Amino acid sequence: MADRETLDVDILIVGGGPAGMSAALRLAQLQKEKGGEPLAIAVLEKAREAGAHMLSGAVLDPSTLKDLVPDFKERGAPLAADVRRDDIYFLTRSAKFRLPITPPFFRNHGNYIISLNRFVKWLAGLVEAEGIDIFTGFPATEVLFDGGAVAGVRTGDRGIDKHGQRKPTFEPGVDIRAKVTILTDGVRGNLTKSIVRQLGLDEGKSPAVYAIGIKELWEVPAGRTEAGRVVHTMGFPLKMEEFGGGFMYSLPDNLVSLGLVAGLDYKDPMFDPHVAFQHLKRHPLVASVLDGGSLVRYGAKALPEGGWYTIPKTYASGVLIAGDAAGFMNSARLKGIHLAMRTGMLAAETAFDAVRNGDTSEAALKAYDDRVQASAVRAELYPVRNVHQAFGYGTIAGAAFTGLSLVTGGGWIKDPLPAHGGWTRIRKLASYYKDARPDSESTVNPVKIDRQLTFDRLTGVHYSGTRHPEDQPSHLIVHDANICATRCREEYGNPCIRFCPANVYEMVDAGDGTKKLQVNASNCVHCKTCDIMDPYQIIDWVPPEGGGGPHYEGM
Amino acid sequence: MILVVAEQRDGTLNRASLETIAAAQSTGDAIKIAVLGSGVDAVAQELGKAAASEVIAVDDPALKDYTADGFVMALEQLFAAETPDRVFLPHTYQTRDFAPALAARVTRPLITDCIAVKDGAYVRPMFQGKLQADIAVNDAGPHIATFQIGAYRADAMKAGSAPVRQASVAIDAAKIRQKPEAPFKEAKQAVDLSQAERIVAVGRGIKAQEHVALAQQLAAAMGAELAASRPICDAGWLPMDRQIGSSGQTVAPKLYVALGISGAIQHLVGMKGSRTIVAVNKDPEAPILEIADYGIVGDLFEIVPAMIAALNA
Repeated sequence: MADRETLDVDILIVGGGPAGMSAALRLAQLQKEKGGEPLAIAVLEKAREAGAHMLSGAVLDPSTLKDLVPDFKERGAPLAADVRRDDIYFLTRSAKFRLPITPPFFRNHGNYIISLNRFVKWLAGLVEAEGIDIFTGFPATEVLFDGGAVAGVRTGDRGIDKHGQRKPTFEPGVDIRAKVTILTDGVRGNLTKSIVRQLGLDEGKSPAVYAIGIKELWEVPAGRTEAGRVVHTMGFPLKMEEFGGGFMYSLPDNLVSLGLVAGLDYKDPMFDPHVAFQHLKRHPLVASVLDGGSLVRYGAKALPEGGWYTIPKTYASGVLIAGDAAGFMNSARLKGIHLAMRTGMLAAETAFDAVRNGDTSEAALKAYDDRVQASAVRAELYPVRNVHQAFGYGTIAGAAFTGLSLVTGGGWIKDPLPAHGGWTRIRKLASYYKDARPDSESTVNPVKIDRQLTFDRLTGVHYSGTRHPEDQPSHLIVHDANICATRCREEYGNPCIRFCPANVYEMVDAGDGTKKLQVNASNCVHCKTCDIMDPYQIIDWVPPEGGGGPHYEGM
Repeated sequence: MILVVAEQRDGTLNRASLETIAAAQSTGDAIKIAVLGSGVDAVAQELGKAAASEVIAVDDPALKDYTADGFVMALEQLFAAETPDRVFLPHTYQTRDFAPALAARVTRPLITDCIAVKDGAYVRPMFQGKLQADIAVNDAGPHIATFQIGAYRADAMKAGSAPVRQASVAIDAAKIRQKPEAPFKEAKQAVDLSQAERIVAVGRGIKAQEHVALAQQLAAAMGAELAASRPICDAGWLPMDRQIGSSGQTVAPKLYVALGISGAIQHLVGMKGSRTIVAVNKDPEAPILEIADYGIVGDLFEIVPAMIAALNA
């Protein structure tokens, strides 16, 4: 189209998280080290400001940071607290049992508790100080191809109304053409998802598996906990068949970061991660810390849990994939920020060489995979390659396997362990509940919402700071909403109304005695759970108009 | 002295101006009220009913249609002439448009969207109202503050009798870069609920579109505007411009009647400043009942007809 602007750069980074920012910073360093004609580099970020969509626990393993920014302390890295104490509890409904020894995977000595939002904002400052442009408020909606090679991305149009018509404020998206595009669009990134399918990058790999993490930031009365305390929990409120657990990290200034991670490969169609999280807050271990405190922020985000065997091919002609987008996360250690940063750096090194050598073909970009294979990333992820899949046999088998993999080097009777897409494990109501089939509008394990300790989803959305202009097309595309009202309602009882942590999906009266799906797209916190977990795989998450989404200050 | 800059359009005073006068009066300082436009006599007389030392009417053909450049030029001259210690403005869309430029022009601090002024400090909400920051101006010179709509009540404004004085300013129309067009048609029809003294709002408890008429009857009987919570507007039962809450309008009427509204926090932030809140809800646990002055637990389809009958009796 004639009125669409184009911008040409050498290297384009799509997604301003820890992977994208590390890639940008590494490129700036290479530029300085190697001199020569400076490359044009740009970073695209869909959030209104850098870091606004960042959510993590988070405990940071500083190994990559030490390599990327050796003087990170002098440069004011926002590391909220050194980890001083590290406990794991197994919870039952009302009791707790502390594991006498913290297993090696969970030992966090030398790590830091951080706010990923603050950390990424800080990284963005370093990137901008190097003269690299970060275009915030610009989501990429499409990958551009030139022949078979990736040639850049198209950003989203602005000013389209909810019926798809142009408003007076209409501005078409921009085509940003690049010699190498580094996709760091995060867990279940929309562009990564599309090119993995289009180019068959997941051929021969195990299906990706995810979890949902729901997190809240609390301010608690003084003296309840000490900064630097890390607590992980197993067991309650999850069932033994469900993967996941709770976390509670103590920050300075009486702030506590707490959350629940639940595998998006659960079987019970009535499972409700938001309700489970409320139960966790009512558990004496957590309630004794929170009581009398107040909720500061709420948010949710999916995590790639599948591990080594689920990582797709991360390179193709003109493109590299790094960070959570590719699934570089260690689910045994609950850590991925350092791996995102490391793969971002390695992608940057590869892209830099390729552009300088004038060869951005698939063969040239394979150097990225070689670098990853030779790096600490493989050394860390390969031994735990079967861990998540082992949890498919239940918590006890999973935990036992995690321990054993230290001894055996991660092999098992079968290696890789057979794996399935998480959404294929959810069972139908009739099969899971047999004759005691619950009403799909009900909660099988209800929790009292007291608005002190426990809150409903809509209140959570408020505390996530989420905003989207209302008059735009829904960015959650349900390809066949008839299935929702008919088949899904009968077979699974509309699990979307439970797994969405932001009350986006509602079944409302259609007026003729039946129900119909209502999508409250402006509530969406961009966690991607629906895109991942919907049992019919008919929901596509696409980016809304630039700048929309949560505002995870301090998360 | 505090100079309050009132807002009018086509000779109609924006009620938020009275709230800002009330804010200025709460400080105990001397007050002058300025109003800008063309043909603002009647508005100036209306403002003269407030307790203030005088009303300054700045009448100029170049100010007939609002432009940021015109207002900044006029107010810069007014400041030079009046030398106020502080300037208060209602935090309206128009103020949002020109106040930053004005502050930059006179190189004085601007504190926006305040909800209170106390002991020389300004209270302003942060983090979606989660925290309130006290902001003190760290400098002896004059400064500018804008006040959130509904933060003060117009009926709390002290009445008095202020003389009206005409002041003239020199505006070079050629220097006004904005060329106002006729207002958008939608904007003409849009309901400004923030100006309503009474509001009847309906929520999901109304159940079906045909029942909205019942709320409409109550609104008519009360002389109130009809409004709604988000699900009603989402469903298209009422237009979007009648939505109250974080994705709709913020209101602070004298009387707010909530019918079948549970009180999600997104709705409460849009109406919690109302003077008297009446809620009808069948769920005794509904959060709206925590902030209601009068809560009626019961079926709105029994209660509302009874209210209409009583009002029409």
